[in-house]
Amino acid sequence: MNNYSLALNVQQRPEVLERVLRVARHRGFKIANLSMQINSNNSTSIDMLVESEREIGLLTNQIDKLIDVIDCRVLVSNSTTALAK
Amino acid sequence: MEQGQMIRGADAVIKAIAAHGVTTVFGYPGGAIMPIYDALYGSPVEHLLSRHEQGAAFAAVGYARASGKTGVCFATSGPGATNLVTSLADALLDSVPVVAITGQVSTAVIGTDAFQEIDVLGMSLSCTKHSFMVTNVDELVPTLYKAFEIAASGRPGPVLVDIPKDVQIAMLEYKTPLQAISAEPEHTPEQINDARELIEQAKQPMLYVGGGVGMASAVEQLRDFIQVTGIPSVATLKGLGSITIDTPGYLGMLGMHGSKAANLAVQECDLLIVVGARFDDRVTGRLASFAENAKVIHLDIDAAELGKLRLPEVAIAGDLRQILPALSQNLGEQFASWQAKIDEMKQVHQWRYDRPGELIYAPAMLNRLANKLPKNSVVACDVGQHQMWVAQHMFFNRPEDHLSSAGLGTMGFGLPAAIGAKVARPDATVVTVSGDGSFMMNVQELTTIKRKRLPVKILLIDNQKLGMVKQWQQLFFEERYSETDLSDNPDFVKMASAFDIPGRRIFKACEVEAGLDEMLNSEGPFLLHVSIDDAHNVWPLVPPGASNQDMMEEMDKQT
Repeated sequence: MNNYSLALNVQQRPEVLERVLRVARHRGFKIANLSMQINSNNSTSIDMLVESEREIGLLTNQIDKLIDVIDCRVLVSNSTTALAK
Repeated sequence: MEQGQMIRGADAVIKAIAAHGVTTVFGYPGGAIMPIYDALYGSPVEHLLSRHEQGAAFAAVGYARASGKTGVCFATSGPGATNLVTSLADALLDSVPVVAITGQVSTAVIGTDAFQEIDVLGMSLSCTKHSFMVTNVDELVPTLYKAFEIAASGRPGPVLVDIPKDVQIAMLEYKTPLQAISAEPEHTPEQINDARELIEQAKQPMLYVGGGVGMASAVEQLRDFIQVTGIPSVATLKGLGSITIDTPGYLGMLGMHGSKAANLAVQECDLLIVVGARFDDRVTGRLASFAENAKVIHLDIDAAELGKLRLPEVAIAGDLRQILPALSQNLGEQFASWQAKIDEMKQVHQWRYDRPGELIYAPAMLNRLANKLPKNSVVACDVGQHQMWVAQHMFFNRPEDHLSSAGLGTMGFGLPAAIGAKVARPDATVVTVSGDGSFMMNVQELTTIKRKRLPVKILLIDNQKLGMVKQWQQLFFEERYSETDLSDNPDFVKMASAFDIPGRRIFKACEVEAGLDEMLNSEGPFLLHVSIDDAHNVWPLVPPGASNQDMMEEMDKQT
């Protein structure tokens, strides 16, 4: 199992979190940790820790395609133990 | 309209649609979209009333696919919107630019389980490229412009705009918004060099051409590329029509029901140049052994497709109209021995139509139809055995001449798609080829044909079976024919006549010629009901889990 830490910057829309979560689930990534914060400049920050057997590009490429996503970065790409809290 | 004049949101919807060059919309009215239908009344935008919202949205898909323009459909809230889901999903998987506009209950009652209220925005997430709910009338026009831009840009797709009733009746001042153009990926000279190097090193290259070529309007660039390089080619279901059948080295469709030559050539190649295609499982068979010894150059506008299923040696995201000419510059023909081998494969594995017996052999009939159709023709298919026979045995001048539900494989696609195609291209001969299973799935759209006297030709191939499922039951489920017998079908010719559509039923091979002529030469719509033997299956077939070189050959009983 691979663990990945993602940082997203997205447009502030009521449904934006649903869009991101739906893509993560559908593309085969389990969300292990999640936090979001509304920013003052009409954007929202989402930090996610996801787990999957799959390669992270399969998720980030799809997240990048979401119209409301401004950018999506992989912060840490790691084994289970390194990210265990 | 004078500057500063206030109009209703509903009027602005029609105005924004007209501003995007859309001349006909497809839809079905209902409570929550009544102001928009009121604005439509007497407006220059024509409306074609379907008899089910799925039919309206498929007509919009057919309109878009046959013309390259964006298709528009309307539906009301609740059941109107939920009925759009299948068609939107179809448009998503086949990358078709469609804007769906749904009425919604008023903002004040959203979230109260009001009459005909459903969370359409939530529902749209998995079946659209993007979606909006407009809660403020000032955002209405900019949102509609964004919807059209998103639908048609990059990899196209369906966009839904949900508009509450109070927003439709609120007043606004119409201003054409300043439009931000979506940034498209661009290729680099390094990528082109890397790809050219691979082409120059290759001994046995193949082009694997998908629907992206047509969607990108890159048919001419692809044909030039083939002419310059002489690289042999195959196409996917959506790629058919991108390459004409008389092109040297073109082997037709590859994949599960592809031609044997196409599959063998791809399996043998040492370089696979993937142009606007996505390694669909119906194309690749067992992915791990698909073109196993080939290096891959993958060209697509959608970066997410590059490396999704097969890691390419060179991946280029960008506009095919620019990439293909850049790639072929200074390349010459250098593959003579491979071309000779391809020609031999093509010769050895060509289709045969000389079948004994009195009964109608659908592949032969479809090949005759292809030969009879005028140059400006559109064939819209349904889904199943007849769809694969069309792909194998007919041929098309352009990708927009062949409408087939490829990614989603939606039965019921053909008739409404043909209606949309006829509206978009009134001068074209439009034929829908359907099966007795698929035809019944949107048969209510015969009324739409009747209403406008649309001269859509219907070729209904009837084996009294849900044929493709029956074929699999026969081959892979020990002939346990669970729920695939359709021998209680209605009398199709009688049914068509109830919609003022003349028709004829034929049973014998000797009736095919006259039947096709009558259908094509009749002035208005026509139904040709063709009875075939249910023993005929689609061949060859790559069985599930097998590699593409391991195709099953014909094993039908001769009738």
